[in-house]
Amino acid sequence: MNLTRRDLLRRGWKLGGALLGVALGWTAYEALRPLAGAGGGGPITLGSPADFKPGTATYFNEGRLWLANAGGHFFALSQRCPHLGCRVPFCQSSGRFECPCHGSVFDIGGEYVQGPAPRGMDRFELGLDNSVLVADTSKLLPGPDRGTQDFLTPPAGPPCTRS
Amino acid sequence: MDDQDRDALEPDVYPAPKGLWQRVRRSEVWRSAFRHPQLDTPRGRALQSFSNLFLHVYPVKVPGRVLRFRYSWRLGYILTVLFAILNLTGMYLMFFYTPSVASAYGDMQQLRTGVGFGQLVRNVHRWSAHLMVLAAVLHLARVFFAGAYKQPRQFNWVLGIGLLVATLAFSFTGYLLPWDQLSYWAVTVGTNLVNYVPVLGRILRDLLLGGAQIGQATLLRFYALHVFVLPAALTVLLALHIWRVRKDGFAVQQPTSGAFAEEATERPRVPAAVPAGGAGGEGGDGAPRVRLLGVVDRQSVTAEERQVDDTVFTWPHLLVRHVVVGLATAAVALTLGVAFAAPLRGLANPELTPEPSKAPWYFVGLQELLSHLDPLIAGILVPAGAIVALVLLPYLDRNPATEARRRKVAVLLFATLLAAAVALTVVGEFFRGPGWRFIPPWRHLYVDL
Repeated sequence: MNLTRRDLLRRGWKLGGALLGVALGWTAYEALRPLAGAGGGGPITLGSPADFKPGTATYFNEGRLWLANAGGHFFALSQRCPHLGCRVPFCQSSGRFECPCHGSVFDIGGEYVQGPAPRGMDRFELGLDNSVLVADTSKLLPGPDRGTQDFLTPPAGPPCTRS
Repeated sequence: MDDQDRDALEPDVYPAPKGLWQRVRRSEVWRSAFRHPQLDTPRGRALQSFSNLFLHVYPVKVPGRVLRFRYSWRLGYILTVLFAILNLTGMYLMFFYTPSVASAYGDMQQLRTGVGFGQLVRNVHRWSAHLMVLAAVLHLARVFFAGAYKQPRQFNWVLGIGLLVATLAFSFTGYLLPWDQLSYWAVTVGTNLVNYVPVLGRILRDLLLGGAQIGQATLLRFYALHVFVLPAALTVLLALHIWRVRKDGFAVQQPTSGAFAEEATERPRVPAAVPAGGAGGEGGDGAPRVRLLGVVDRQSVTAEERQVDDTVFTWPHLLVRHVVVGLATAAVALTLGVAFAAPLRGLANPELTPEPSKAPWYFVGLQELLSHLDPLIAGILVPAGAIVALVLLPYLDRNPATEARRRKVAVLLFATLLAAAVALTVVGEFFRGPGWRFIPPWRHLYVDL
């Protein structure tokens, strides 16, 4: 290969420029990305399973989550709609989660029922610690895929979102 | 050139000083700041443009048809004026606003009641922002239908797309700053669109928000983007855009001779080919005086061909029109600001989503599309595809014609897509209510601007 001194220098400048660009990009990303601890959450004590009746959902402000009892199966559901992030309230009359923004509906287990949401409601990791339910809000798992209907029951009553 | 030479060339420029005002204008201080006086001669107008930073943005002369309002609808200029209004009103608002979750909403309330002209300035700022997005889309459509993106203007079209994206980002980042329910949830919906980007969605959203959800970090990021990063980016892009307008020629179509006969003058096509003995003076045929730039061989002297010069001086013809349009734009923004107050809902509450929650109006079309199609298609492929298609358009369109009737397919396709975008926006903005149900505006109107 016949490489002149000028070619070598030119390539050196290009390589150096590219490396500098990568270094700047990486530094900017490191500076701007949220720190691991920022809003990362942690364990939140919810209470004894016996305190929550089947078919009900209880809201916990400190974790911004719903604790849902789907026929004895407990889920800590994120309040954020997986569609576009609106807060999803629980409708007492229908016994379902109904998003006010775009009409997505989820059953008591947070499973997709209807609307534009791409999946069911996201779930925080939930466990028992000395017979007490504890949700870890630093560990969010994506909701079940559309079509999962393990806890789907007919609506208990009229929906809450006005027509 | 010293003053003596100037006076000799333009004997009427510096009349003998009479009165205080003329003495001031002849003073060394004045002439050190304003290098050339205002002269009503072709040479004077040209010199004035050359020696003035602001006038230098314009060419000395422009094709006469540029003066017609309907030629460009002055949309590019209107956008520049709106950007200037936004800068001025934005600077005023910065004196009374702190980008903090704890105090931002209080500052907005204070603007309404405790700051002189605070509400009015905020109204004008908000309406100007809406008008800027609207004018940018109209400008894009106008340039497309005029075929003005074709060679040699391809890259300026690309810069224009960059300006459109920057304008949208500008408006969107400003939307959050009031920190009320409207801004909080509109930005929540808007930023969650990013989630649908494959693989990188979550990372991009976290970078934008500075965390998993909207909070103090988001407000500060949006503020920094809104008051420094985006203004700087838009200023650089705008400077390049205007520079290229000049470099690529100020008007698209070929000159139509005689359109502005009253302004037309005749000029030799080959200025260097001066008839012998004609240098420095006025020819018997009334040709304008030219300088002898070089001695040419007699045999190389060619016969002069004359053509109609359709150009007119920028100052005063175009500039006066720009001043009028600029004042009209400011008047519209001010009238809207007086007539319609910018909304301010309750303090942002992450625990209560208002019904319905709509993205800012220029993204509502996307939100409407998202309710019909798969999020990956509606949220990512359609908008990203639209931007990429717009950027590539001048390089893919090989038809050299600029008239609409000779590029029917392109015009029809663009008009259809534009109409679809407008229809989606109108349906989303005016026909959607709680739960995104279809509710006609005559039953109940759920609109916040």
